[in-house]
Amino acid sequence: MSADAFEQRSLSAGIVGAAVKQVTRKVPQGEPPPWPANAELQVVGKDVPRMDALDKVTGRARYTFDVQLPGMLYARTLNSTLPHARIKSIDTSRAEKHPGVRAVHVLDRLLMAAELRDPGDEAREPYPIVRFTGQPIAAVAATSARAAEAALALIRVEYEPMPHVTEFEAAIDPGSPPVFPGPTEQQATAGGGGAAKGLPQKGNLRGPSKGGSRGEIERGFKEADVVVEGEYRTQVQTHTPLEPHGVVADWRDEELTIYASTQHVMSVRDEAAEIFKLPKEKIRAISDYTGGGFGAKYGIGNYGTLAIHLSRKARAPVRLVLDRREEHVSVGNRPSTLQRLKIGAKRDGSLTAIELHSFGTGGVAAGAGVGMCHHSMYPCPNVSIEHYDVFTNAGPCAAFRGPGQTQGIFAFEQAIDAVAARLGIDPVAMRDKIDTRDADDVRARAAERRIGAEKIGWSRRRAPGSDAGPIKRGIGMAQSMWPYIVNSYTTCEIRIAGDGTVEAFCGTQDIGTGTRTVFAQVVAEELGLRAEDVRVHVGDSRFPPGPPSGGSRVTSSLTPAARNAAHAAARDIASRVAPLLKAPPDELIFKNGRIERRGDSKTSLGFAEALRRAGIETLVHRADRRDDYEGYARKAGELNISPHAIGGVQFAEVCVDTQTGAVKVERVVAVHDCGRPINPKLVESQILGGVTQGVSYALYEDRRLDAATGVQLNANIDQYKIVGSRETPQIEVHLIELLGGQSSTDARGVAEPANVATAAAIANAFFNATGKRIYTLPMTPANVLAALRAE
Amino acid sequence: MSVATQHPPGREQLGTFGPEPQPLSLLVNGEVRTALADPATTLVEFLRDALGLTGTKIGCDRGACSACTVWIDGEVAASCMTLALDARERNITTIEGLSREGELHPVQQAFIDHDALQCGFCTPGMVMSCAQLVNRNPDCTLDDVKTAISGHLCRCGTYPNIFKATLAAAAASRKGQAK
Amino acid sequence: MRSFEWVDAQSIDEAATLLAATTANAPVIAKAGGMDVLDLMKEGIVQPTRVVNLKAIRSLGDVKLDNSGMQLGALATLAQIERHAGIRSHYRALAEAAAHAATPQVRNAATIGGNLLQRPRCWYFRNEHFHRVADPDHSEHQHHAIFENQQTVMVHASTLATPLLAYDASVHLTLGKGSSRSVELKDFLLPPSMKRDRDTIIADGEILTHISVPPIHPATRCAYHKQTERDSYDWPICDVAVVLQMNGDTVASAKIVLGWVAPVPRRAVDAEEILISRPLDDRSASEAAAAAVHGATPLAKNAYKVPVLETVIKRTILAAR
Repeated sequence: MSADAFEQRSLSAGIVGAAVKQVTRKVPQGEPPPWPANAELQVVGKDVPRMDALDKVTGRARYTFDVQLPGMLYARTLNSTLPHARIKSIDTSRAEKHPGVRAVHVLDRLLMAAELRDPGDEAREPYPIVRFTGQPIAAVAATSARAAEAALALIRVEYEPMPHVTEFEAAIDPGSPPVFPGPTEQQATAGGGGAAKGLPQKGNLRGPSKGGSRGEIERGFKEADVVVEGEYRTQVQTHTPLEPHGVVADWRDEELTIYASTQHVMSVRDEAAEIFKLPKEKIRAISDYTGGGFGAKYGIGNYGTLAIHLSRKARAPVRLVLDRREEHVSVGNRPSTLQRLKIGAKRDGSLTAIELHSFGTGGVAAGAGVGMCHHSMYPCPNVSIEHYDVFTNAGPCAAFRGPGQTQGIFAFEQAIDAVAARLGIDPVAMRDKIDTRDADDVRARAAERRIGAEKIGWSRRRAPGSDAGPIKRGIGMAQSMWPYIVNSYTTCEIRIAGDGTVEAFCGTQDIGTGTRTVFAQVVAEELGLRAEDVRVHVGDSRFPPGPPSGGSRVTSSLTPAARNAAHAAARDIASRVAPLLKAPPDELIFKNGRIERRGDSKTSLGFAEALRRAGIETLVHRADRRDDYEGYARKAGELNISPHAIGGVQFAEVCVDTQTGAVKVERVVAVHDCGRPINPKLVESQILGGVTQGVSYALYEDRRLDAATGVQLNANIDQYKIVGSRETPQIEVHLIELLGGQSSTDARGVAEPANVATAAAIANAFFNATGKRIYTLPMTPANVLAALRAE
Repeated sequence: MSVATQHPPGREQLGTFGPEPQPLSLLVNGEVRTALADPATTLVEFLRDALGLTGTKIGCDRGACSACTVWIDGEVAASCMTLALDARERNITTIEGLSREGELHPVQQAFIDHDALQCGFCTPGMVMSCAQLVNRNPDCTLDDVKTAISGHLCRCGTYPNIFKATLAAAAASRKGQAK
Repeated sequence: MRSFEWVDAQSIDEAATLLAATTANAPVIAKAGGMDVLDLMKEGIVQPTRVVNLKAIRSLGDVKLDNSGMQLGALATLAQIERHAGIRSHYRALAEAAAHAATPQVRNAATIGGNLLQRPRCWYFRNEHFHRVADPDHSEHQHHAIFENQQTVMVHASTLATPLLAYDASVHLTLGKGSSRSVELKDFLLPPSMKRDRDTIIADGEILTHISVPPIHPATRCAYHKQTERDSYDWPICDVAVVLQMNGDTVASAKIVLGWVAPVPRRAVDAEEILISRPLDDRSASEAAAAAVHGATPLAKNAYKVPVLETVIKRTILAAR
């Protein structure tokens, strides 16, 4: 886009219905005119029903889990039974002879885990070193799952056990067994993650990273009137999508097709191309439907690598879908943390010092940070950050809805609440005082605090621990902040056939977020059609490049490109139809399925009829996602981070039974912004999901490992506990419409912002109910009763 | 809802089976369907792998997420914890058999109207439980809905919309009955 | 799960004969609702060569309730018990326990016989790793026993056993061919063990035919509560059944049974005695609850269960009021 010429434009910016002003932006020439507020649009901003809902309620939606191809083989994986070991030998000969077995493959490289900076002796190992119980080693493809399972039992693995450590407290001890023999690096994936390069590593401690530090921390504490300290602990949470990770790999001479349960078809193609040394054009990744991802489903992973090898060997399609145990253990989790947080503030609430000493435990993977909130959410001149990743012999971490930030906000927004309590300042007023950067998220949160406080009934909030009996109720709030991310490598294509059929293509995917629907709405708006008149095609790496469904970036990246392509198509049609209507093309508008002259509805033609009469056979228009009009604060490859973040404020009302330790979240008011909401109903669904997962994280979820064996004890769905129908609070969602003047749609994401503040809001409500802080997640009876006993 | 057009294959199938696969006939969505299965085959495996009815999902394979819910003789069942042989002499309804002649069950329509789904993987099971509730008790309350889906897990967090959708479908079906 | 040979038993005698043929190398197991055995087979903990299907024996599913008490056929489902009007009004604690067990789908299939015979839900026990690769040290014992936990820390999984013990239930067993014996439920259940293949005194080839419960006196009050981390469905932290016979406003006799806190459900005898001849009020209930948890020997990670149990006992006593 660098060759583009720019023009100055006056655009609306601000919160619709509250404070919209005109701003001047440098806009690339040819950008469509800005849209007015949603109320004046036809399709965008409306609650259009989810386009794939019918397929989902009838069971017709085909997930990777459901792909059944002629001659398809079923594969099962052999996983390590030890937490740390050298593999001396593997004998697969008996498995290969088992009836029904068509191929066996032993993994020669492990994905997801950190890698040694200098492989040293490990480079000469015949097999990857085992570093966690459940690490995939080999796989078998057979004519039935039963035969594959039976053959696994025939594989002989000779291990040389090595000492291991699974617990955080033990792993940070300098004398503990090292998970890696030397310093490591962690590559980023399409889902983010990765770790800063070149950090020191001592034993199992990798770090410190000090990003965000500034000023003089000691001076900051000297200037403070109050100092609040706390030690916060969060647990390991597993993603637990209902559809486990899985692929069907179909290796043919001419092409490799991979059906994948993924958040990014392009990353499936690209990782397969890299590992199998194939040109990208020879690989096709398909994902019609993905049954949940939440951050862990990128690339082909170890299971995909195995399936592709097996398909190549057996010359048949191979289905490899993880079972629930493997899903919990080996394909990602939200790392546990310990955050020692010390905050200094003046009597008026202004912050003078923030000191964070934190650890994140991502098993065999690095990149277990605690987000950027401590140093970037509220202005503070003196900040000291020291973060360490801690390796343990446990499955690798991966991005998980608001990675780092969800853990970080749990500590940080509680600490801010504690400062407010110490100073006798109302928590909402405290944020009014300190949440003052010059950015969209700050302005959004200011409005959101007002709305949320009114809806929850903040004025009835009482002093902490006011209830006399054992059952105590309270209200709390916490704020969200998540970067507004744009994926530059995003292109949409619109094809319009002479019969009026409109098709839209993008190599992104719809993992339940409603991407198909918002894509159709944006195209329909430009062409004056209904959303259901647009046939949307996503989930295929053969389509033009599309963004990953992660980082809350699909809607922000996709919709401007979609609108621009549809706009170009509309102008193209207008120029061809203009002679028929005897009107200048500029005066033709697309509305209610017709093309008409502005202000003269009699001079009009139906959309399909106009195309036919203009002799149009096929029109194809493509557009890329251009940069935001104001540019970005940071760029990393295809990922661009705006100086404006996404806000969000949540209020929670809880009930604590102080005798049984049972916590019930009774109500949550979630007030959010996502730029221009393209489909408020679907945005609401995303927020319901974010809050629900936040409640689940706060109250129930906790991966438990047996220290002696490294076995995850609750690698199932009954003992790994997730919110069910009875734990679902009453959730009220309120949305603001915020125009940023940054792109042709001004849409932003909401999936992660909806998740990051929930646990902190509940914890602050817990304090209001009981007068005690809950420093440890999850809020199980054991942790709650301990917190209530603490002085 | 689903009226069996045939009787379930019955006692003539009692006896000794396996361990190798043998033909097994079950009454599924009003049709007798026969396929090979060994005795360890669960009902959901039979439906999905042998009959190609992939609308019914497997989430945990231990009866703890209820994504595999079908109806057996009109009652909800975890098809992952039901051996296919235990479905002999029974009348099985799956998500594919819920809508008849292209007409959606009111619960299905309400799920669409209220956006009671996101990724959709838990949806067929949810629909089966909520439809069973609405059929059995059109006067159901919010608490009844919560109980009916108390064994289901939705990781996307669609519960509030499922509550709304099911109550709306119940209201619609009461109205339909009153006519 | 490995395949196996399946036999539909047409009669109790046939089933007993088939089951008696079990050997260590060729295990034969019985299957009713299948909830527990399917789980054990899927985990690879039980690998039978033959499964005897009891569900074709129709007579085992009956529920009879009259002046002489109640008989629950072993194949009666938890859903049947939960919905049975007579059980709801006369044996409310049992109906409540059934209603709070597992999920609606599971309750439709699970039988009372299978519920009593199920193996522990301990997460070490339920993992093949600790049967074949390593012995468990049970260091993650937050859901385990706080009483009598020297021999084993595992707890019996049946929550229906808790009220059934409070109702003085007996189980009836047969080896077929007219032989039968009845055993009080308290003597039937054994502390769970990973070394045995069962946690009851049932013998090889023996079939649990029904459970009998004595008649209930009109002046009986009862209550049941299952305390969980999560409401939708969950295994208990503890469950408590209280059955009281009243004499006017005071307690004439009491049965208080505590589940999931000891290897087998535990009678709280000291608590029962405290209630005798006293009115049901906050004070007597508090004293009884305190007595019930006295002497608990919690482990490093399950001490929280003691105050929870004490609270639940007190509340359940008061709920029976």
